[in-house]
This record gives sequence, C-alpha cells and structure tokens, in this order.
Amino acid sequence: MKTEFLDLDVREFEPPQPLMKTLEAVASLPQGVTLRLHTRWRPALLYAELEKRGFTSQSQEQPDGSYLTTIRHS
Amino acid sequence: MEAILPLSATVSPVTTRPAAAAEPTVPSIWLPLSFIVTGLLALLTAVGWMIAQPDLLTTYHYNQNIIALTHLVVLGWICSVVIGATYQLVPVALETKLYSERLAKCQFVFHLVGFVGMVWMFKTWNMKQVGHFGSILGLGAGLFIYNLARTLLRVQKWNIVATALASSLAWFTLSILAGLSIAAGKCSYDSTEGAAVASGVRTLIAGLRSMGAFMSRFDAISAMHAHAHLGLIGLFTMLVVGVSYKLVPMFTLSEIQNRRRAGLSIALLNAGLLGAFLSILLRSPFKFVFGMVVCAALGMYGWEIAAVLKARKRAALDWGVRSFITALCLLAPLGLLGAVLAWPRLPLNVFTGQLENLYGFLGAFGFVTLAIIGMLHKIVPFLAWFKTYSPHVGRFRVPTLAALYSEHLQRIGYWTWLTGLAAAGAGILLQSDVVARLGVIALSFTLLMLAVNIAKILSHVLQPKLSPLPGRAKSS
Repeated sequence: MKTEFLDLDVREFEPPQPLMKTLEAVASLPQGVTLRLHTRWRPALLYAELEKRGFTSQSQEQPDGSYLTTIRHS
Repeated sequence: MEAILPLSATVSPVTTRPAAAAEPTVPSIWLPLSFIVTGLLALLTAVGWMIAQPDLLTTYHYNQNIIALTHLVVLGWICSVVIGATYQLVPVALETKLYSERLAKCQFVFHLVGFVGMVWMFKTWNMKQVGHFGSILGLGAGLFIYNLARTLLRVQKWNIVATALASSLAWFTLSILAGLSIAAGKCSYDSTEGAAVASGVRTLIAGLRSMGAFMSRFDAISAMHAHAHLGLIGLFTMLVVGVSYKLVPMFTLSEIQNRRRAGLSIALLNAGLLGAFLSILLRSPFKFVFGMVVCAALGMYGWEIAAVLKARKRAALDWGVRSFITALCLLAPLGLLGAVLAWPRLPLNVFTGQLENLYGFLGAFGFVTLAIIGMLHKIVPFLAWFKTYSPHVGRFRVPTLAALYSEHLQRIGYWTWLTGLAAAGAGILLQSDVVARLGVIALSFTLLMLAVNIAKILSHVLQPKLSPLPGRAKSS
C-alpha cells in the first residue's frame, strides 16, 4: 500500500507558531496520511500534545541541524 | 514560509530520536512562575526602598543597608527570576527534560526563606544569622546545581549553551561559598572548651573558626567585590551569554554565524573571570589585565550577536528583543567603567566610590534587569499561552502570543526604564538624592507597566479566551 505524505515547513516561524501550525495541521490530517514536519529545532513541546491527541511521532535530525518529524495517527 | 505539499523530499537522517512519551518535557508553568512572581515582588520592594531612601544610591556602598538592598536585588530579584527561567528554558535550549521537578519545588522554599532571612539579617547586621539563612539559601542552590548538573548529563549533543550553563553553575557554587566564607569571617565564635556539645557541632564550629581566620587575611571590601563579580559575571552574565546564543537566533529567525567565535567568548569569559576574581580578592594590579580579558570576551560576544542579528530573517524586532539587545549594548559603558575602576593607579576618593556605585547600579539595573525584563516579555506570555491554549489549537480559535499583553505598555516601560537609568545614574555621580529618587521613580513606572502586562497575561490562565473555529460548532 502506498503511503501518502503531507509536508509542513515551519522553519521560518517564531515560537509558538510552529506548534500552532502543526496542531492545526494534525486536526485535519486524514487517516493513513503521514505529516512530515520540518522544524529548526527538535519539537520537544509537541510530543506530549500529539500523543494526547492520538498521534505517534518520530524525529530525525537533518545534516543542516534542522529536524524532520513524521506524525501519523496511532 | 509555510508550505503543505503532497510531495516527499529526500532527507538524510543523521540521528534518529524517537519521540518522548506523554510525560511533559518542560516543568509545570507554576514552577517558573513561582520564582518569577517572587522575583518581581522583591524588585518592587527594592525599588520602593530606594525611593524612600535614595541615599542608598548616593553614599558609599559598604554599609549594612546597601548590602541588604544589594542582596534583595541580586538574590531576591535577579536570582529568583534567573532560576525560574532556567528551569523553563534549559529543557528547551538543551532539548532534554529537567532531571527533577520535585527538587526544584524544594529549592523554591529554601531560596525564599534563605534570601528573605539574609536581607533582614543584613539590615540588622547580624552576621551569624546571615550565615544561617545563607546556608539555607545555599542548600537550595545546591539542589538547583545538582538538578541542572543531572539535566546536563542527559544532553545528547553538547553545545555552547551547555558549556555556558555548566560554567555558570560552577561560578554560582563558588559565589555562594565565597559569600558564606565572608559571613564566617565576620562572626565571633564562643569557645566549646568544656561545653556539652556534640562532636559534630564542635567540628563545625572549629571549621567555621578556621574559615573566619582564613578570611581575615583578605581586605573586607576586596572580598566583597570579588564575591559580587562571581555572582554578577559568573552566574548572570554567563547565563545571559549562553542562553542568548539559543534564544536570539530563535526569536529573530537567524543562526549562530561563527561557532568558534561564540565558543571563544565563553572560554575568555571564564578565563577573565577567574583571573579577575583572584586579582580583586588579592588587590593585585593584574585585575586591570583580567578585566580587559572579560571585556574582550564580551566584545567577542557582541560581535557574534551583531552577526546573528544581521543575518536574521525577521526584519522587525519586537520590544522584548529590543530591550534585551539594549541591555547588551549597556555592556559597553559598563566595561569601560570597569576598566577605569580596575586601573591600578586610580585615586581612592569620594568620586571613585560613586563610580563604584554607578558600576554596580548599571550592572544590576542596566544590564541584567533590562535583559531580564526583555526576556520576561517573551517567556511569561509563552508559558501562559502554552499552558492555556496549546491543548485547544486546531479545536478552537486561540489568541496569538502578542494578544496576551499590551505592546504599548511595554514600549512605554522600555523608555521610562532608560530615562530612569540615566537620571538615577546622574544622581549617583552628583550625589544628589533628589535626582536619584526621580530616576528610581521612573524605573518604578516601568515596573508598573510590567506588572499590568503580567496581570493581563495571567488573566488568560485563569480565564481562557477561546472562540469557535469558523464553520465549526463549539464542542467540548
């Protein structure tokens, strides 16, 4: 089965806008679609909120020091 | 710019870090807020005290009331806010979790009892009780240092922020030990010969007596100045430097431009402070040389921050960042004043004493307090917003961060603070109680603006302002 991705790049936003935009995006994330979140820093404040809303997430540091976090429904 | 694209991009992961479990990464907002509100109350008390007694600024600083006021400002205001903000910022800046929130709560009690008791006992010049309350404060500081050290051990990727934090913890430890040693040196000790006391108490008293004898080798004012530099430069300046290497790029959408230069600024600050502490304590003419090393470190730091600002993607700077940058700019006259005061052939007269007062005043209220006020306008709204609104994002329309407080009041507060600094500084140099009092009254206007803004921000925590999203019915 093919995995569908949505990319959200919030690297150009000051806190807490990255958090706001991500939570707004996951509110309408369809089942089976993975959100790929691009942030300047590890989104430490996001994890607990995502888990409360029924999502799993995993972050990977990129060569430029930014982070890519994949978010999907649990 | 934000982009949501149904496309994938190729990425090359370097490390994989699974997301944390549902446990919070940052402590409860009540922990930093307890320290911050305590700090603000201490600052209000200190400013009220200076308005009532402006001669505290215009007379030479080696007397019990000025030492009490200084500890109210440094421990009650600056230390409280810095510790509270550190508990909040360190997990974010170091991308890890605070080791223990319970230890931090215990520290709050020790810190509060310790500094209130110390200020009171300094005022009555009861040095034995200063030592007792200082030990309570020191116990709390020990919990803070242990908690932060254990947090630092969790850091997976060591960086300049972690180096600065570790350095500031070391200087904080030394500063407290130096302060307690000075207090021990000013006490007299009853003989325990033939007295029915436990051996542990006898050993403790013997140790304190030895410490007192050791401290009597040093000039009292030099020891006090050396202790003050450990606190103001070692703890506060080092923390400001380290944390700003994370926060200034974060708030201005920029990057550190030269990591080597940033690292060198911290290394030079450590080296300069060690030399300055020893040379001030020993009344050595080398204090000028080490003072210059500290100035070089701050120059290097200013150079890097200027480069970060030049490369920023966010053109307009908000008033919180402006206050912080203005505070950093005040390091230039402060460094110049420090260099003058460190000059080995400087004549010791009344004017030199006033210059020393101005140096301390500008350090505590010009640099550190203005930097803190700027950062409080970033930290407190974020804490309140995160606690109140983050669970509702995507479900309700939530206010923006800027909507939580009045930028207009913040702007007025910025200018009244600068006016107050200039007037109080002039009052100190002219030894004019009237001018100094007018200056401090201007400072108090800023605190009024800050208090109104903090109250506005906290009103959102008590009564969130949520509205339904367009096209959605309100639901629980």
